[in-house]
Amino acid sequence: MSDREMIHNYLQSLMRFLSRLDQEDADDVLREIESHIYDVMEMREENGQMIDASAILEGFGQPRDLASQYVDHILKGAPPPRGFKAIQRVKRGATKGLRYATGIGGYVTAATLIAIGLYKPFNPEAVGFWANESGDSVVIGALSEVPAGTQELMGWWIMPIAILLGIGAAFLTSRLLGVLKLKS
Amino acid sequence: METQANIESKWDAQLRKGTLELVILAILKERRLYGLELLGLLQSLETTAITEGTLYPLLDRLKRDGLVDAHWQQEGETRPRKYYKLTMKGEEKLADLTIRWRKSIEDIETLLNNPGPGPIRPKGD
Repeated sequence: MSDREMIHNYLQSLMRFLSRLDQEDADDVLREIESHIYDVMEMREENGQMIDASAILEGFGQPRDLASQYVDHILKGAPPPRGFKAIQRVKRGATKGLRYATGIGGYVTAATLIAIGLYKPFNPEAVGFWANESGDSVVIGALSEVPAGTQELMGWWIMPIAILLGIGAAFLTSRLLGVLKLKS
Repeated sequence: METQANIESKWDAQLRKGTLELVILAILKERRLYGLELLGLLQSLETTAITEGTLYPLLDRLKRDGLVDAHWQQEGETRPRKYYKLTMKGEEKLADLTIRWRKSIEDIETLLNNPGPGPIRPKGD
């Protein structure tokens, strides 16, 4: 393994163990340690000394042990103000819950819309977009019984419209998840 | 049997544990340093030599406690470095700990200077 690979692996591993920290804090820790390591390597190179990444990394200890020193205060709620632990937990929970809800809700909606569009040719009568006369009640989907007192409005147009909306929903969901992940 | 070197290193480790915060605050008094510089200074002294794995998490804690401030800064062609300095609160804590540290030394010196069986006479009495 080259020195750079070894350092890369170390930082990757450290990043995983720091996952309980806010993304911003974890990035800051990694950036500082990375800067230190490469500073030392450069210094040794300039002095014509052997560059031995494993010797440099040894001073930091195992990634898990190093990370635990940064993370313990969150788990124990030790030095920071009272209530900090609870806030962290709620924040973590909310972010995680929100991500799952967004993911499931978004992708299920997307899949349903696309399925409706694709199913139309197989069962043209059952798939459609129905509205009653006043327009205050609409139904979209694949139904065994057409709702009473309504009229189907889209005809075959439901195919491209539902599929495009489905793709749009999937795209927005993945974008939203990306944003939520960054902020968690 | 414990060797001399063993006794020394155990003693140093124990003492460091209790005094590390004072040591870091003292080294940052009227200095602005980044991690590697700080480590270099600590390792240049016999009893304050600590490892990277001890220093960085400790700096993180001191920052969370509001005793030090940290700022990323890039100078010329070098890669950005995170510089630390004392806050007001850090200066105050350093002053308090310094008084306690000197008091400890004085007390231990008093004991060392007053072997039995006579009474212990604190300095200045």
